[in-house]
Amino acid sequence: MRKGMVALYIGMAVLVSMLCFVPAHAQEDIVSLADSAFKDRQRAPAVFVHEEHNEKAEIEECNVCHHLYQGGNKVEDESSEGQGCSDCHHVEEDDPARPLMKAYHDLCKACHRENDEGPVTCGECHPKQRYVLGS
Amino acid sequence: MYEFVTGPLAWIAFGIFIIGMTVKVISVIRLASKKDKVVFNHWSWGWSFRSVYRWLIPFGSRSMREKPVLTIVFFVFHVCLLAVPIFLLGHNILWDERWGITWWSFSETSADYLTLLLMAAAIVLILRRIVLPEVRIVTTAYDYLLLAIAVAPFVTGYFAYHQWFDYKTVLIIHILCGEIMLIAIPFTKLSHMILFFFTRAHIGSEMGERRGAKTW
Repeated sequence: MRKGMVALYIGMAVLVSMLCFVPAHAQEDIVSLADSAFKDRQRAPAVFVHEEHNEKAEIEECNVCHHLYQGGNKVEDESSEGQGCSDCHHVEEDDPARPLMKAYHDLCKACHRENDEGPVTCGECHPKQRYVLGS
Repeated sequence: MYEFVTGPLAWIAFGIFIIGMTVKVISVIRLASKKDKVVFNHWSWGWSFRSVYRWLIPFGSRSMREKPVLTIVFFVFHVCLLAVPIFLLGHNILWDERWGITWWSFSETSADYLTLLLMAAAIVLILRRIVLPEVRIVTTAYDYLLLAIAVAPFVTGYFAYHQWFDYKTVLIIHILCGEIMLIAIPFTKLSHMILFFFTRAHIGSEMGERRGAKTW
């Protein structure tokens, strides 16, 4: 009985200490585009390992993706990191700013097409079983 | 390869399908006007529309009522065959990206189940050709080939959606199967997807207007 309790306490301690690392890790590394604005998900969030992607694609400027539009025009040299994509792009299909799903698809695929690199088909970004980019 | 099958090859497939079917319809009308002028002299829109309508709705014709189980299977097969690819989310995203046109889509889960339903119906259609003697004696390998051409895009699409085997390869095979189907339509019995309306209208008008007989 006592032994069992000790084992239980140790187990709980280990679990709790592991939990401490999880949020820190998650905040640092973006591994998928799991936008919480999508309420009715049709597919798994697109795999996107932020650091690895930018290193591979040799993207240094944040506003290559985190663009800022004002009055329908892109503001050069300004970036919008810190803002969510869904702050401007709404899920509703009639959003004049470009609906959220289309915004993601267009931004990723247009760049992939232009550079002839990176995935453009459904299942390459939305895997049934999650896999890590580049594997 | 993906760029090729969704680019030039898609243009060729849709081109052959649309031009091929247009030529086919025109040639059927011209053939009728040469060999069967009476059809046009005594044409009845009322009878022809009723005939088409009766054969379009489930249990609308007598032969459908006589074989209720097969009728359900036929309708499930044909409805899924048309609806799944037209209202599939992945396909509609492509239409939107390339042509800027959008319309309603099935949820991915619904499309998944409808594809399963179509494949089950296809199995019944194959069994029908094997089991029923009156169908067996008019069945040749060509009939199975046509069924395979029609069903292959769905089987491969199902595999692609579930990402079984190598996803990119399966996806390309899926697109090729769809293109083979489109190209095959004008040159095979699959052309009944358009010619159905002409044959049913013709027979309905012919029998109805001249003899007062229903053909359903």
